[in-house]
Amino acid sequence: MRLTVVSKWPRRTWILREFSTAARISQTGDTRDTGALAPSVKTQCPSVTGSGARARSTNAILHEDIFDGSTTTVRPWEEVPGPKPLPLVGNTWRFIPYVGGYSVRHVDKVCTALWRQYGRCVRLAGLLGRPDMLFVFDAAEVERVFRSEDGTPSQTIDAFSKLLQARVEKGFFWSRGKLRRSYRSVNICIITADKPKLNNFRHGESWAVFRAKVARVVLSAGAALRYAQQVADVADDFIQRVREVRTSEMETPGDILNEIHKWSLESLGLIALDTRLGCFHAKEGKKFGKRALDRSREYIFLCVGDLELRAPWWRLYPTKTFKRYIAALDTILRCSISVNPLESIFNHLDRDSSWRGRFEGQRITLQHVDRSLKLTNSKTSLLNQLVAAAGPRVATVAALDMFLVGIDTTSNAVASILYQLSLRPEVQERLFEEISSVLQGRTLQPGDLAQMPYLKACVKEVLRMYPVVIGNGRQLTKDTIICGYNIPKGTQVIFQHYVMGNSDEYFTEASEFRPERWLSRQPGDRHHAFASLPFGYGKRMCLGRRFAELEIQTVVCKMIQAFRMSYDHELLDYHIHPMYTPDGPIRLTLVDR
Amino acid sequence: MPKSDSGTSFSSVSQVIRISTTKLALKEEKVKVTFILCDGKRIETEGKVGDTLLDVVVNNDLNIEGYGACEGTLTCSTCHVILKQDVYDSLPEQPSDEERDMLDLAYGLTDTSRLGCQITLTKQLDGLEVLVPETINDARS
Repeated sequence: MRLTVVSKWPRRTWILREFSTAARISQTGDTRDTGALAPSVKTQCPSVTGSGARARSTNAILHEDIFDGSTTTVRPWEEVPGPKPLPLVGNTWRFIPYVGGYSVRHVDKVCTALWRQYGRCVRLAGLLGRPDMLFVFDAAEVERVFRSEDGTPSQTIDAFSKLLQARVEKGFFWSRGKLRRSYRSVNICIITADKPKLNNFRHGESWAVFRAKVARVVLSAGAALRYAQQVADVADDFIQRVREVRTSEMETPGDILNEIHKWSLESLGLIALDTRLGCFHAKEGKKFGKRALDRSREYIFLCVGDLELRAPWWRLYPTKTFKRYIAALDTILRCSISVNPLESIFNHLDRDSSWRGRFEGQRITLQHVDRSLKLTNSKTSLLNQLVAAAGPRVATVAALDMFLVGIDTTSNAVASILYQLSLRPEVQERLFEEISSVLQGRTLQPGDLAQMPYLKACVKEVLRMYPVVIGNGRQLTKDTIICGYNIPKGTQVIFQHYVMGNSDEYFTEASEFRPERWLSRQPGDRHHAFASLPFGYGKRMCLGRRFAELEIQTVVCKMIQAFRMSYDHELLDYHIHPMYTPDGPIRLTLVDR
Repeated sequence: MPKSDSGTSFSSVSQVIRISTTKLALKEEKVKVTFILCDGKRIETEGKVGDTLLDVVVNNDLNIEGYGACEGTLTCSTCHVILKQDVYDSLPEQPSDEERDMLDLAYGLTDTSRLGCQITLTKQLDGLEVLVPETINDARS
């Protein structure tokens, strides 16, 4: 959840603009500490008029009020409203079960309540062992903070990097990495996992270099397209699997999320390691049994919220939760290895030594990547490209990271989307029409998804109302003015996309499921592009975005093609688990079309 | 180009010949591009056919603050440029969905907005003029 490093682009030199404008001159007169972000002067480019006629887009016309934030009086950090911390226990006590009243599993409701009570920005101070937080519910401020970080050279906070270093030295890095990953700040955790680079990490150069190398490969527009066919094959297998396990009432047995997890893992194995893991066929995988995998995954999901929001005892000693968490990670790793018959050399691994296992995990994956590279001849495989661009070590870390981060996020998104669609037969019909008219009876080919705007809109709409990750954050690298308050550097700023995405202030009839809002808009429709950002924005946008979108769109497309979905039980509430997901079981009735 | 400037050695004929062919080839591949900044300043430069507008900015070390923060990975909208209508219409490729998603987040979006990292130079684009809209960064010192 933290962002610290926005490093300069290594390939160019940053000199202050020579051509100074009137705005610049008056700006330089500002005092440094408050003027850093104070948008006091605005010279709007005269020829840039935000006309709203883009056919399908959500036109991000800036609201003038972005610059109205021009704070004549900047108030101090201490005056930001929010729950008052108690002596000694701060605000952490509020997350203690039965006592505090703030439920970790219902942070969404906590945030909404905080927003109602305190307004557009809320200070959560006194969290033991972690920086103060600022919750931001104002999309214009989100936009301003995001934009201001573009290309801004800045430094890592010393204290933070020291903390990271300490974690790594103590062997905490997987855990910390995973925790951060859970909030989609995928990038920082990758670099923390890469120990040799930590010395450089202090100034953010290392992160920037790593990110640049990896991002060019995984985020390029064509990267995901090359996997379209294979991802579609996995989706076909998923459909087949779901057909097989249906009960006689045409209902999925238990929670469909379990099957979706397997699909997600299978897809990720393919993308990250060029390996079909065989998740749908537990027998073939032997050790990679459903039981071990399910249990491990369950632990991971359950642990993260606890580790992140409750009192961080695990930082002092390996708590039970923490151990379970690490063990679960190991199991998943080992499972992925053991399906490969060539990997018998790893069988000696000591199952119980979770601490050792963690390090072994990385070593295994390095070897596994090696193996995958030898087995894969395709020059266009993602893994090969990563190796070519950044070397085997970086490729390994990136592959492993994708493998670990991409499962729960993607699968929960799909579960949420399928659940929402199953409640809306009319939306399904429209989707089916769109898909049928594009495909004309043939199977899905790479590139077809680009012709399905309504499908993409449906995905966006679900992620607006129920973002898998309810907030996205930054750790300030310098004192910054947000909402008229001077926020000190080091503060964690959390953009509350769940609350903003569901606010009528930013979306017309926000409580209505209306995919059409992503296709075209009427004059007067409210639609703030920065209020709903399920993949983040800018230099820290989700690295897996292209693949996640491809996977999600493909599998939803296939499901709609195959079934009429409905949900015939009591409506589900959503909860943080730690992804924001229906409080299942999601038992879908799937009738063949 | 630096190569031809420094290649003043006449020790062998083949070298001279090579230099001259290089020059010719470069001349063929280059197209003129003009970036018009919001304050009216014009930056006239050259780019190779096949380069993107972002490449042009980077390779020529153009001083446009904050331009191309994500280095062409389609995760930001800082390389936003505004084209003339006829140029916009003449581009061989429509913006992809990925580009559109980012354009939606661009500051001061217009009907003829594109992301510079997605515009590839062709010979037909020789003399291209693009407007670089003001960004919020410009208001800062």
